[in-house]
Amino acid sequence: MKRRVGGLETEFGLVCVREDGSRALEPEEAARELFRPVVAMGRSSNVFLRNASRLYLDVGSHPEYATAECDDWWELVAQDRAGERIFAELTEQANARLAEAGQGATIHLLKNNVDSVGNAFGSHENFLVDRRGEFTRLPRYLLPFLVTRQIITGAGGVVHPGEGEDGPARFVFSRRSDHMWEAVSSATTRTRPIINTRDEPHGDPSRFRRLHVIVGDSTMSEVSTHLRFATTDLVLRAIEGGRALPELALHDDIAAIRAVARDLTGAEPLPTAAGSTTSAVDVQQRWLDHVTPFADSEEQEVLEQWQKGIDAVRTGDRTWAATHLDWAIKERLFTQVAERRGVDLGDPAIERLDLAYHDISAEHGIFAALQRRGQAPQILSEERIEAARSTAPTTTRAHLRGQVVAAAQELGVDHVVDWTTFRLTRPGAMPVQVLDPFATESDEVEALLAEIRGTDGAPDSAPVA
Amino acid sequence: MSQQSLNAPGHGPEDSGEDAALAGGQVFASAQAADDLLDEIDSVLESNAETFVRSFVQKGGQ
Repeated sequence: MKRRVGGLETEFGLVCVREDGSRALEPEEAARELFRPVVAMGRSSNVFLRNASRLYLDVGSHPEYATAECDDWWELVAQDRAGERIFAELTEQANARLAEAGQGATIHLLKNNVDSVGNAFGSHENFLVDRRGEFTRLPRYLLPFLVTRQIITGAGGVVHPGEGEDGPARFVFSRRSDHMWEAVSSATTRTRPIINTRDEPHGDPSRFRRLHVIVGDSTMSEVSTHLRFATTDLVLRAIEGGRALPELALHDDIAAIRAVARDLTGAEPLPTAAGSTTSAVDVQQRWLDHVTPFADSEEQEVLEQWQKGIDAVRTGDRTWAATHLDWAIKERLFTQVAERRGVDLGDPAIERLDLAYHDISAEHGIFAALQRRGQAPQILSEERIEAARSTAPTTTRAHLRGQVVAAAQELGVDHVVDWTTFRLTRPGAMPVQVLDPFATESDEVEALLAEIRGTDGAPDSAPVA
Repeated sequence: MSQQSLNAPGHGPEDSGEDAALAGGQVFASAQAADDLLDEIDSVLESNAETFVRSFVQKGGQ
């Protein structure tokens, strides 16, 4: 597909502590406090917003934000960053209420993927793929790319030696690899796969299916988030193109993903299914070379950044990466802080620093502090991110959903929407379904908007408020 | 679609490293920014880092 719709679901970690760092509120209670204004507005902790995104409380009391469907990856990054801002504001409000109640408690929302005892939560990428494409053929080509792309788009982190292992804690491209147990399956938690096969296209199922990639780290860097989508999209386009593809199927995807995470040179031999070996750098370079002819003029920058990321690993020269890619920003920062304090990477101070890096608060977050000093990328303007909080993407179905939610909220009209269906909750109201994720115009939605605004001529449709 | 340099701090994201290395004043400024950042990080880490980490336990999601 030349034009593809994608979306990003982010589950946030949540902790509520007193001044001394001890736990003040259980996650359930803290989440309830956080969602108080959401429930007051939507009578539910599962709502769609004016920017057509979905905001909800997931199992395990994880606040979750799912961007609206985007067909431009910078728009997706803007929508994702808008979600951070929305939750950061809710967190500030909740903390103000807690302070007013004399609670002496502060909620922190962390855009990361694992808590201090190893419970994992996700950052799920969704790509619309053509139903006619051979989905069974897809993983064979996509998996080697997904296993090794952490050397570019991993969030970085520290792992401690496992049972029976010696040695100090070490820096890795991604901690997510240790929470992956299968290559492809329908599971999401117990035996978490790299590609999840739950087929929820949120569109016409005879035309589309969903590719659900759950191997990614939550990324703070806009460059990293953009590259996750832009490079995967290019690889998908090449696979769909049907020409001869790089045959890089790995002997054991899960063994490989863990080895790749730990090998900061990207050079360690990875056994292939065909009985030879490859390496993380080799797989990424071969895919980059292969997709180059598929990239249009606007994607040249993606190719350049992808190459710079590969080069940072291959040569060990992190100059560019250390100010652009999450893992390399963290690698430099953790090393500096560990040296300054005379501790190793396994010290609790470094784990605290990792959490602070992913803290979405402008006040407490270290990533925001790095941005302020020009040591982490800030590609999108403040104006664009702020606008994305209340403006849906205009080139997909999100545009329709956003208009419905905005009109209904402004006029206080009770409504229920999901990814495909919009409905007013008044007697006799008919649901409007839009099954084409690319649709930006719909007579039925226009009629629904007229009904919301009370301009449809129906006597019983005067605005409530 | 390119969004480069709309609000990149000081430099376009493409040229930050090289430019900083060429201009002495900027190197000094960025070294100072780095120290300043490490001081800010110290203040986060001094306050009960280990207790904070242990407080962050949450059932898995997804």
